[in-house]
Amino acid sequence: MTSPAFTSRYQKEVHRKMQKGNIVSFTTVAHPAEGFGSAPLTIGLLELEDGTRAMGQLIHSTSQDLQIGLQVCPRMRLTRTTAQGLRIYDVGYEVLVGKPVEQETLKEFPGYILALTGPSGVGKSTISRSLVTMFSDYVTASPIVTTREPKDGDDGEYTYVTEEAFIKMRKDEEIIAATQIPSKDEKRWYGYRATDLEAIWKNESIPVVITEQNLLQELSNHYSRRSILSCGLLPPGKSKRAMLSQLLSRLRTRGRDNEQSIADRMRNAEEDLDFFTNRSELFDHFLVNEDLETVIETIKGHVLKTKTV
Amino acid sequence: MNTDIYITGTGQTPFGEHWDMGLRELMDSAIDSAIKDAGISVLDIDLVIVANMLAERTSDQAHLGAMASSLLPHQPPALRVESACASGAMALHTACGMLESGKVETVLVVGVEKMTDADTGAIASGLMGAADSELDSPSGITFPGIFGLIANRYMYEHSLSRERLSAVSAKHHSNAMANPFAQFRMEVSPEAVTSSTTVAEPLCMLDCSPISDGAAACILSTKHQSSLKIAASQIASDTVSITQRESITGFKATKQAAAKAFAEAAIHRNDIAHLEIHDCFSIAAIINLEDLGYAAPGTGVKLYENPGKQTINASGGLKACGHPVAATGVKQIIDIGKQLKASGKRYGLAHNFGGACATCGIHILEHTAV
Repeated sequence: MTSPAFTSRYQKEVHRKMQKGNIVSFTTVAHPAEGFGSAPLTIGLLELEDGTRAMGQLIHSTSQDLQIGLQVCPRMRLTRTTAQGLRIYDVGYEVLVGKPVEQETLKEFPGYILALTGPSGVGKSTISRSLVTMFSDYVTASPIVTTREPKDGDDGEYTYVTEEAFIKMRKDEEIIAATQIPSKDEKRWYGYRATDLEAIWKNESIPVVITEQNLLQELSNHYSRRSILSCGLLPPGKSKRAMLSQLLSRLRTRGRDNEQSIADRMRNAEEDLDFFTNRSELFDHFLVNEDLETVIETIKGHVLKTKTV
Repeated sequence: MNTDIYITGTGQTPFGEHWDMGLRELMDSAIDSAIKDAGISVLDIDLVIVANMLAERTSDQAHLGAMASSLLPHQPPALRVESACASGAMALHTACGMLESGKVETVLVVGVEKMTDADTGAIASGLMGAADSELDSPSGITFPGIFGLIANRYMYEHSLSRERLSAVSAKHHSNAMANPFAQFRMEVSPEAVTSSTTVAEPLCMLDCSPISDGAAACILSTKHQSSLKIAASQIASDTVSITQRESITGFKATKQAAAKAFAEAAIHRNDIAHLEIHDCFSIAAIINLEDLGYAAPGTGVKLYENPGKQTINASGGLKACGHPVAATGVKQIIDIGKQLKASGKRYGLAHNFGGACATCGIHILEHTAV
């Protein structure tokens, strides 16, 4: 099936398949199905982390000796172009072989990361700053690497780099989670470095990261979902519309953005709210940011509970 | 069975490439042979059930029930059933139900498939309809690929070597030498199987059943007796996608249908003299023998190395007879009937499955010398 509607319905399945796993079986099909090209295709049956199974193309180098039981990592890739020119992306699985097992286990974060996710204006930065100030013994904000220009309101949370430098760091896997937040006039990159996160943990503190859809997904892909204490922050409001208008008024009050930038943020905010519903498995707790103190207390409770465990 | 259902007559076209015949001619030929074999008046046929999987894809033709009916002078009521490669067994099972209900007394079942009109790409994607279009197909896999996954896993779990697997197709080809209806009547050595082109690792071309045209017809009746009775007719289902199964080296549907069929016929599996099993791919034959209880898990291949009490695919199976998808299940019944009449033995079993055994149909035939 190749109709856009079918492909769109199928996207739900893609989310489920976006997990690490290992190979239950594999085969190389000499003549793949119509539309998948004429080159042989290696396809695996995978057991994913949540216990479900999936079928997907395996990404591996020809020198790799494929074996049942090997670990795989999900990667989105273009799988085919339909006769109508529709480009179809699907989850493929990169085979993690040829790398010693020890190196693989290092990818597991030694402790855990506190992630705050939510739409623009919900108060992520404020909560992060308060947490870091009030509980400096426990938590440290991890610096955000960004390609955007420094602004007046910035408070030392950013490390500024050029776009070329950012892309190189990402390629070298120094930056292990990145996202591009679109705005009217530029593409800004934001990301986190493994070294920053791991250094904070080594210092016996819990790294706090501010995330959105891609950052959270990539962090949990890299360190495994278990390494992340993930909090979704919701604006108060009974309906999505109420929440969005609440955000709009907060963005206007804080006065950091111009109307153009607010419009961009509002567009993204709606998607962010849907993300909570669609990917609820990526979150441990949902918190409504009605008043700062309550939220801080709640997060503190979760952090301390986890810390003592 | 709630009533005695006799196999009154059977007939089939040779399986193979019939470039001069369409769906209508194939059905006509098989139906004609079956009616002649039955020796009954064609007007006694109360219902026609057509088994077909791919006609919409390969011949732009749906509505095969009416087409088959129009081949008979009195144009009896007709319907078509589809359950992928198990369509044949499903049509027989449907016929048994109708006969048991007493609503009809004589049913004509005809399985037909016309595969050589379409190009291989279209056939491959048509056959993938037997798998899951959301869970399996987006990877680019084909049906040989699905059985490649199954074979690779089986070989891993049971340390089966590629060389030993080749015994299956070699044996089927050897059996087909005596079958005038088989598509490939030629000896194939195990070495030739191993060295044939790889289709879906570890499966090679000669592990796979071919693309074929053909039709097979069978007249079942509660009124016109014969020496062959249907002692059991059972079906079972499993998930369409192998991604939703815990194990892919054994098929639940076969196990369930077999247990129900042996109970219905009130016999032990060792009472069976002849087996026709669904060997769409060599590995499937081995798994089937284990699921039917004739071998312990991991040891099915031994029955190809040292034959047991039952003959296995004496017709040549799907591999050597050809596999016109929906005709296969009906053709298996015809072969079991012939084998029982020739050997004088009492029971034979036909095992037909669809997809990766998401549907399994099992029929046990009882032969009583007249």
